Amino acid sequence: MSEWVVDLNHVWKKYLLLRDRPGFKESFVNFHRFLKKREGEDHYFYALKDLTLNIKTGECLGIIGKNGAGKSTLLSLMLGTILPSRGRVIVKDRVTPLLELGSGFHPDLTGRENVVLNGVLLGLTKEDVLKKMPSIIDFSEMEEFIDVPMRTYSSGMYLRLAFSVAFHTDPSILIIDEVLSVGDEGFQRKSKEAILKLIKTGTTTVLVSHNLQAIGGLCTRVLWLDHGEVVAEGDPKEIIESYRKKMA
Amino acid sequence: MIRVPYHLRREIDLLWLLTQKEITLQYKRTSLGILWSLLNPLLLAFVFYIAFVVILKIPKRDFPLFFLSALFPWTWFSTSVSASCVSLIANKSLIKKFPFPKHFLITAGVLSQAVHFLVSLPVITFLVYYYGKTAHGVWLLGIPILLFIQFVMTIGVCIAISVITVYFVDFQFIVAFLLNILFWVSPIIYHLETIPEPYRLLSLYFNPMTSLMSSWRELFLSNRIYWNWIFIAFLSSCIVFLVGYLIFRRLNTRLDEVI
Repeated sequence: MSEWVVDLNHVWKKYLLLRDRPGFKESFVNFHRFLKKREGEDHYFYALKDLTLNIKTGECLGIIGKNGAGKSTLLSLMLGTILPSRGRVIVKDRVTPLLELGSGFHPDLTGRENVVLNGVLLGLTKEDVLKKMPSIIDFSEMEEFIDVPMRTYSSGMYLRLAFSVAFHTDPSILIIDEVLSVGDEGFQRKSKEAILKLIKTGTTTVLVSHNLQAIGGLCTRVLWLDHGEVVAEGDPKEIIESYRKKMA
Repeated sequence: MIRVPYHLRREIDLLWLLTQKEITLQYKRTSLGILWSLLNPLLLAFVFYIAFVVILKIPKRDFPLFFLSALFPWTWFSTSVSASCVSLIANKSLIKKFPFPKHFLITAGVLSQAVHFLVSLPVITFLVYYYGKTAHGVWLLGIPILLFIQFVMTIGVCIAISVITVYFVDFQFIVAFLLNILFWVSPIIYHLETIPEPYRLLSLYFNPMTSLMSSWRELFLSNRIYWNWIFIAFLSSCIVFLVGYLIFRRLNTRLDEVI
């Protein structure tokens, strides 16, 4: 087993500010201006600035910071759904996201069809998903509704099924964005226990949360982001304390 | 038995599932389902028969067969292209949440339209026999070859268009307009022979649809494969694919910033 699983080397991520995005009309009318590269720095918004980060196998990394600090951008970079503008991102293992649960489901497909598609999107083969189907259904407690189109589901049922699929893909790197509460009280406890078990058994985890207590209790290292830059990094207790002071 | 690597098996599964999803969603909530893919072309053939043979009484008796033998493959191309305009935007939630090759969405769209096209082939066969012709073994060679060439060409066009429309939403209206023009400058409703001489060669060499559509028609109507047309179609499909792929690759890197 290798020592580290995620490595970010001087990573920048910039977005073109929407107000400057040229429309089709504009690009035709002002073609000469469209061709000119807009390299002026004030046209861009930097979501991450020169971030270097290495995550070791089995580590539980907590990320804290205000809204818009770049936490979600960082998660997306690790997940591979966005590419860095500059720098290099290496992820050595399969990443399982627990973010925006259920957004990959299509309301007109049945629960079962969605589970298969979601499982394959999360990195399993169809054969493997079908093998795990009984236990996915069992964990979500949805056997009654599994062959019904998902548009008839309640939002809680959506989340249950989504969590159950993600949990059953044998995550090797788990990315969590504030989802430690799914469904009703019973299921909340069940999903929390499942996540805790994964973290405690050494699944590499990246956890973004505003719940400082949860971060402090679970994480072995904490990263504090602000405006796309690392403010501090290291021991959870110290960093959470100085973060609290700053926020107060 | 050869062991296919896990990630490859998974990618094949994913492509197939996305294709399946496209097909099921198209006819979801209908009672006849995929049968509509057969019924639609059949009804279309019936309408053409009434319009051109019964009412207009055009001298070309087998006109419905003549037209549909090129129209069905054209429909595969044109519906794929129009669908590709929105396929990335429509699947935004998948793109933002799961890391998988984005061109799978486009490929799945083209594949699902290919299934509809294949389902319409019995209608052509029926018309062939109706007009006193026969199907021939050469179809078994010609159909896969033409399917492959058209698949490559359609993918090339679709992947380019799909990313361009993310940057310029207006582009989809231009695409609709261009498709309309392409339909009328290609020998679909008329025969290649009816194009006056200097333009005929021009059309054959510079419009990839000309050789492709003419090849489909000759295959169904006279059971012949014109290898020189096939060669032209193959060559142009490779060029179209290459250009489309380069555009896609160029625009794909910054796609996540604008979608």
